[in-house]
Amino acid sequence: MAHAIEHEYTTTGLNHRKMLMWVFLGSDCLFFGSLIATYMVYRGQSLVGPYPVDIINVPVTTISTFVLLLSSFAMVQALAATHADNRRAIVGWLLATAFLGAIFIGFQIVEFNTFKNEGLTLGGNLFGATFFTLTGFHGAHVTLGIIWLVALAILGKKGRLGPNTALDVELCGLYWHFVDIVWIVIFTLLYLIGGFDAGPAPLGG
Amino acid sequence: MSPEISENSHTLRSNDDYSTVKMASLERLAESVVDELNKAQGESQMGLLPFRRTGNVSEQSVSNTTKSIGRRSSLKNRSVIFGLLAALFLFAVGCSKDGMSPFDPMGPVAAKQLDLFNVLMWVMVIVFVLVEGVLLYAIIRYRKRPGQAKPPQTHGNTSLEITLTIIPTILVLGLAIWSVFTLFDLQDPPEGSPEALHVNVTGHQWWFEFEYPDAGNGKKIITANELRIPVDRPITLSLESDDVIHSFWVPKLAGKLDMIPTHTNEMWFQADSDKINDDLPVTLYGQCAELCGLSHALMKFQVTVMDQADFDSWAAAYGPPPTISARAKAGQAVFAANCTLCHTIDGPDDPVLSASRLTGFLTGGDITPVPAPNLTDLRTRHTLAAGLVDLSETNLLSWLHDPSEIKANNYMSQRAVMYKTETGTSNLTNEEIDALIGYLLDLQ
Amino acid sequence: MAAITSVIPRPTSYEGLWGWMTTVDHKRIAVLYGVTAFIFLLIAGLEAGVIRMQLASADSTLVSPGRFNQMFTMHATTMVFMVIMPLSVSFFNFVIPLAIGARDVAFPRLNALSYWIFLFGGILLHMSFVVDQVPDAGWFSYANLTEKPFSVDRGLDFWSISLLVLGTSSVAGGLNFIVTIINMRAPGMSMMRMPVFVWMTLITSILLVLAFPVITVGLIELTMDRNFGTHFFIPAQGGDPILWQHLFWVFGHPEVYILILPAMGIVSEILPTFSRKPLFGYPFVIFSGIVIAIMGWAVWSHHMFTVGLGPVANSVFTITTMLIAVPTGVKIFNWIGTLWRGALEFTTPMMFALGFVALFIIGGLSGVSHAVSPSDFQQQDTYYIVAHIHYVLFGGSMFGIFAGTYYWFPKITGKMLNETLGKINFWLLFIGMNLTFFPMHFLGLNGMPRRIYTYTAEFGWEYLNQIASFGYLVLLIGILVFMYNVWQSRNSRHVGHDPWDAPGIEWSIASPPPPYNFAEIPQVLGRDHYWIVKENAEAAGTPITGPEPTVDPKSIHMPSPSYWPLFTAVGVALIGGGLLSHFALSFVGGAIAFVGVIGWSNEPAAAPNDHH
Repeated sequence: MAHAIEHEYTTTGLNHRKMLMWVFLGSDCLFFGSLIATYMVYRGQSLVGPYPVDIINVPVTTISTFVLLLSSFAMVQALAATHADNRRAIVGWLLATAFLGAIFIGFQIVEFNTFKNEGLTLGGNLFGATFFTLTGFHGAHVTLGIIWLVALAILGKKGRLGPNTALDVELCGLYWHFVDIVWIVIFTLLYLIGGFDAGPAPLGG
Repeated sequence: MSPEISENSHTLRSNDDYSTVKMASLERLAESVVDELNKAQGESQMGLLPFRRTGNVSEQSVSNTTKSIGRRSSLKNRSVIFGLLAALFLFAVGCSKDGMSPFDPMGPVAAKQLDLFNVLMWVMVIVFVLVEGVLLYAIIRYRKRPGQAKPPQTHGNTSLEITLTIIPTILVLGLAIWSVFTLFDLQDPPEGSPEALHVNVTGHQWWFEFEYPDAGNGKKIITANELRIPVDRPITLSLESDDVIHSFWVPKLAGKLDMIPTHTNEMWFQADSDKINDDLPVTLYGQCAELCGLSHALMKFQVTVMDQADFDSWAAAYGPPPTISARAKAGQAVFAANCTLCHTIDGPDDPVLSASRLTGFLTGGDITPVPAPNLTDLRTRHTLAAGLVDLSETNLLSWLHDPSEIKANNYMSQRAVMYKTETGTSNLTNEEIDALIGYLLDLQ
Repeated sequence: MAAITSVIPRPTSYEGLWGWMTTVDHKRIAVLYGVTAFIFLLIAGLEAGVIRMQLASADSTLVSPGRFNQMFTMHATTMVFMVIMPLSVSFFNFVIPLAIGARDVAFPRLNALSYWIFLFGGILLHMSFVVDQVPDAGWFSYANLTEKPFSVDRGLDFWSISLLVLGTSSVAGGLNFIVTIINMRAPGMSMMRMPVFVWMTLITSILLVLAFPVITVGLIELTMDRNFGTHFFIPAQGGDPILWQHLFWVFGHPEVYILILPAMGIVSEILPTFSRKPLFGYPFVIFSGIVIAIMGWAVWSHHMFTVGLGPVANSVFTITTMLIAVPTGVKIFNWIGTLWRGALEFTTPMMFALGFVALFIIGGLSGVSHAVSPSDFQQQDTYYIVAHIHYVLFGGSMFGIFAGTYYWFPKITGKMLNETLGKINFWLLFIGMNLTFFPMHFLGLNGMPRRIYTYTAEFGWEYLNQIASFGYLVLLIGILVFMYNVWQSRNSRHVGHDPWDAPGIEWSIASPPPPYNFAEIPQVLGRDHYWIVKENAEAAGTPITGPEPTVDPKSIHMPSPSYWPLFTAVGVALIGGGLLSHFALSFVGGAIAFVGVIGWSNEPAAAPNDHH
């Protein structure tokens, strides 16, 4: 990670990279917003099954959602360890976060596979297209986050993370929490609300 | 310099005589805005509008130069306004009343839309003249003079800003409100109109299909590329598309509305006899207005406005050709053997058949049937190939021989089995084509 | 991984081709952007030439309908994404750090990455000509004409994937300039002291990072429809082609302001300079820009008045579209207010800036007329709209860009463009522009639809089309004069650091600026900083005669050149290229980009022993 211009003067006092991350997350909001809008527009518009009620498994995804939430907690701990300059804890918590993220991705892979076997495909109906696109792009975000976390853990192992470079961990944390929050929205809309849609007619408009 | 100017001013004077009251009021408007700006910039000798020049300036030490410059810019300012009026004249001339021009509306919908545009255009012209006038005035009046000191460093004027925000806000909101009323007003035919005639219009690459569910006495009619409508009666239309997005537009009757697959858009128009100067029937032009592929430019149609009686007799006569002559009978056999996969000539199309054609077309493939015009009333039509050429025996012959000669991109030459030849021309014999023409055009 | 990435030594040369390819200097990147975008301008201009020659006569058969559709599609796509936007970014790059008193942008290597991705994205799109599968569905590419049954070759894939690649570049650039402007202003430069161009860049950048994700989603869905069997926009399977229009125009309308706001910013710098007085109503110009940026999100459906959204939706968008004219009008009043009682000097940049105002008024007025939806039903999709967008984008954006080029050229090169040639250039473009595009108003009002490759003589469109085609030739000569002017400038003598007696901070340093820009970060005294400095110096009896003194570049720690932006951009381009040819290539590209990012993050922004 780049450290050279860490201590230079900024107008707002905020670090450049931190501001970059915030603005990027704002941009990413619009990205997920548009994907979610597509899902909402096509909700209940599929001409053929399988429909959400046929295949969405809320309990299972509740577990994976819980795992992802737990990973956010591990992320907070990793940042705290970085500030405390506890190298073992840094690496441990970063890997824990990555591991929990990986479990979430594992659930997603199993889920995609099950859905595929039950006949839900990208090209089968609009529900399949919107579901796989939205959750797939979220999964890609999580995967990138895992790679980032592992890379940080390697740096931590080498002793390159500590209070002076806490920003490196904090940025990853910002990203990770954002991806988490997006999942909460997706889980609410696709599973808790939309998961019981049946048939081609939209439920409740 | 000055004799030149006075000469110029002479010519301008004489032009002045031609100008109307409008000219004067425009100047007044320009003047008041300029005034406002001057006030905003604080009282100063340099900020006066030339044609309001009084003793104030001549009292200055630089009076001589300023004066002549002032006079010149005044002239320029006037000639600018004249130039703009000339441009306006050009504008009026530029708007023709040709076939596709909406400036000669023949029905209430197009007329109300034009009313709005006409007012809008005057608003635009006045604002244009004012703003460009002030801009040009500033450019000419405030150019740097040799040895001129730094101009006064003003930073702005809040009350002027607010005024110049509120005035356009009122102006555009006025236009917006009128637009909104017109929108709702034109949504449906007015109360008390005669009973509307309904037409379902379907856009195809690259032709229009017209279906009258009830053209009179419950008779259903399907035809293509030529819409016949009775005068003085509202026509309600349901617009759809079979393939990509098209747009339905008859400028003299109404603005356009898109034809979108799986959406049905509703519109209406009417042709008014008191707005049509020629004897009926008259032919109006329409064209697809949304890019729809290769032959978008060739996707045209005609609207024939006729008396109710003429319309009724056309509707009553709608039906397959009587097929009396031997030539026509031979042609009927050729038609049945070569054309019926896509075309029909037995009156209204079979919905199941047309649906299966559409599915075949959308899923692609090489020799799938395509939705094609219903040819039942071909003999009563005026044009061929979506309004491209007049319908005549010669043109139909050349069309049947090789459709791409007339319309470069069409599904007939690409998909019909009879054109799957090396040259792309028909594999029918000349006799067969001749018989087909006899049948389709009901020639004896 | 770190082993691989540390094998390659850090580039140290600032000279020659490698110097340019590894540069992270915002001023050099600006030149790269400018030159590349100008080449794309020539390509798009030639495409426009084909369109104009085809339409010069009725029933013309110069090009086939398919080729014609390709020409207008590529012309618009190139002009929007590869000419006007990158030319604006070129000015952002050169001017912003100088105008806010900074030594570079916040992320110099990200900046280089943006450029290289832009270049490769543009090349990727133009590869479609090589394989002769050129996009042909218009720059808006309305679904479902873009779907497989109606567009079988790969043209639309080239279009959507190149735009995805280009979008990455734009968003990265936008992020960079937001952080730069908010975070890197010299002491004393509060937000309300920022030059208007800096403000407009900030607003444009915010629009960029918010608008591009929307079109990205649309493009992803289109690409998936065409390649992975989804039915987002295929009506037969329940998809809705109108959703594409919404996604496109939710992006597309802010995009219009992305194209015009930078030019407005440039003009707001030039008019005060050559009027010798500060910008009239500075806060109003700023606030109107902000209002435009916010309201720009609430007007997209005026592009869809004829879709049949119903009178309620059409009413709402009529009103919002009408209201957005007000802040635009405010800007025009303030520009005229700036001229008022000034001492105008008609230099070439000033003439282009005045041309901008004059032509933008026309484009703005015809824009208001589109808002009147019932009347717009007649004008939608006719040449009237073509006239409007060219008054706004050519008369507006391009004139602003030419103004900026003539204005900042002496700062970029230290040499002045020839003023006489500049004025010839201006008048040719001004006259050519009006000859080409003014008749199009009448063509549209007389019912000539857009995007038709041919027309018959019976509707009376031929005469006006001939004027327009003649105007194109005048424009072409104008562009050639500009090119000659740039070419001949290599022999002209060096002008001082401040040839225009300008107010901006950038004029206080040497021309061309040293790599570090400011030996000492200036303390900003006010809105028109350098005017204040010069005035104070004059009052103190020591008028300023030369630029700020330069220092030994080695004494200032600057970001070092880097291979990684170029390397990473190659990876990104290969991902896109792979989607268009072999998926394996995408994986190679992904791997390259991954290595690039790792190498990038292992490399400090400035090499420890390199004091550049």
